[in-house]
Amino acid sequence: MKIAKYPFAVLSAALFTVMLITPISSLSNLIWLASVDMPVGLFSSLEVILFDFQRLGIVLLGVVSIGFTVAFVVAGLISRYSSLGGKYLYAVAGSAAIGVSLILMVELLFQTQLLGGNRTLIGTILHWGAGFFGGYFFYKLISEEKNYTFIIRFLGVFYAYFILGLVLNWVFTPVSAAAEFGFALYELNSAAQNALLRDFTSFFVATFLFSILGVITLNPVWFFSAGIIYIGAGIFNLVAIYAHGTDFNQIFVGEFVLGSWPIALGLVINHQQKKLKE
Amino acid sequence: MRAQNLFLILLFSTGLFSDYKFETILSDLDDAWSFEFLSEDKIIYTEMPGKLKIADFSNGSTIDIKNVPKVQYSSQGGLSEVVLDPDFSSNRTLYLSYSARNADGKSTLYLMSAELNEDSLENNKVIFEAQAPRRVPVHIGAKIAFLDDGTILLASGDGFDHREKAQTLDNHFGKIIRINKDGTIPKDNPFVNVKDALPDIYSYGHRNMQGLIVTKNGQIYEHEHGPRGGDEMNLIEPSINYGWPAITYGIDYSGAVISPFTEKDGMQQPLLHWTPSIAPSDMIFYEGNKYPELNNSFLVTALVSKDVKKVTFAESGKDIQESLFGSLNSRLRNIQASPSGLIYLLTDGPRGKLIKVLPEEL
Repeated sequence: MKIAKYPFAVLSAALFTVMLITPISSLSNLIWLASVDMPVGLFSSLEVILFDFQRLGIVLLGVVSIGFTVAFVVAGLISRYSSLGGKYLYAVAGSAAIGVSLILMVELLFQTQLLGGNRTLIGTILHWGAGFFGGYFFYKLISEEKNYTFIIRFLGVFYAYFILGLVLNWVFTPVSAAAEFGFALYELNSAAQNALLRDFTSFFVATFLFSILGVITLNPVWFFSAGIIYIGAGIFNLVAIYAHGTDFNQIFVGEFVLGSWPIALGLVINHQQKKLKE
Repeated sequence: MRAQNLFLILLFSTGLFSDYKFETILSDLDDAWSFEFLSEDKIIYTEMPGKLKIADFSNGSTIDIKNVPKVQYSSQGGLSEVVLDPDFSSNRTLYLSYSARNADGKSTLYLMSAELNEDSLENNKVIFEAQAPRRVPVHIGAKIAFLDDGTILLASGDGFDHREKAQTLDNHFGKIIRINKDGTIPKDNPFVNVKDALPDIYSYGHRNMQGLIVTKNGQIYEHEHGPRGGDEMNLIEPSINYGWPAITYGIDYSGAVISPFTEKDGMQQPLLHWTPSIAPSDMIFYEGNKYPELNNSFLVTALVSKDVKKVTFAESGKDIQESLFGSLNSRLRNIQASPSGLIYLLTDGPRGKLIKVLPEEL
């Protein structure tokens, strides 16, 4: 487990940092919208913050993970071959990684600032600060002994993070969410619209909650529950194609992946718990 | 007779008109951006690196025009639009829009008038410099159109990093500008008497406009790139706020929400929006007689969907669209109709082509 701890610690720190970074852009955007008399309220604020955390965040997660990997390796080497070390070294490394990543994002991508929250000095300082806390968080993770639950929890959170995108689509933008599944929502009658919205939203919200509950409790039943739903969707997708004559729909591949992922986590927990009992 | 009618119906309904043929007129164009017909077989065209050229199809010759303004060819910037004065035949005047560095070394949009004398520009005069300085020339806009009263409309893009400024009137980011041919400001511009507003602004709340035309009945149509989704086509009227970035149907390239709102009182809705984006690049309103099926329709070239969208509007206002020329499979940058009504397309990029659309001979 010692070897596996480091990459998952980097990814966990990156996800933690993304969680700190994305609201900077969201809030700066919301503040501006309010300043031009747009009706910014709780619902619209949540929509912006959560969508940014998921959609912008998933892009940033890749960037931050690469930046952190380089920075923490360098920090590790400095720590090993010098008297410098400890939490502040990793915190500074995290901050530097974010700073360099943000500069490279501008210089390599059309020389424009894609991150709205980084267009002001205070926004830039906040991003660097987020990197600082990300580095500190990394240090805390690697300085403690970890068992398998650390990786299970990370993979469970990452799974929920992915599902969150579908949840947000159905909760906040159901028309485009329905369109992605081939439904022209407003062409359906009212009862059909209602059925579509409640069932699909419930489907994704439930699997999201199951995976979060699995992460919190480490009870494999929650992961199995989420997995069974997606495996079921994959199976009945094939039934629809081959028994009921619908067009081939390759989304069943994704459904089997989304089903297998939490089931695998549940099986590992089950196995480890049995080993502990023995 | 019935069989004959059936044959005719089948002929028309099976899309015979959609099977267009094409002829490449010019090739290896270096980032060509716009062109205008000087006559049926002679065009003047711009290349983004800063070249203005005249090509004569009748003898295959191309000449470089001298004394072209120095441009900043970088990112999306360079020598953009060339348009002829409505009285070009008598005054030989043309107009060029381009990006260049201002006195502070920042990139911005310029509009220049000049007289074309054989192979050179003369009496060059910068008639507009956008108060929209940016680090790099992105989201320039740069489209030009003439109103019937002889004034000029110029599209000035939002500069990407400066999108919020499209909502304020003290700058030229995300604005359509209206000026006289000599650069002076028309007295009837909508914001001439508004405190802190630039008097040359005609409409605002735009993003990156790439199509700007005035139809024969004097209506102004514009289209603009949205980010991911939310490309728009608008009917332009003076003083109107078109909403960017406070309302939009698109999201940012990064996936971030630009605005959770798609409408608000006081902000104009588009005539239509393309989501997902097609990246509209130019537009004409076709009124020729070479392609009867295209008559009285907007033809919008697109970079991403690599086709031309034929757009008409039903009485209800709902748009009706048809994809044309997709078999070219090329990013299309510009479209013009020749004096006789033949359609020509310009492809995008460093090895661009000028392509003539051959009308069907029945």
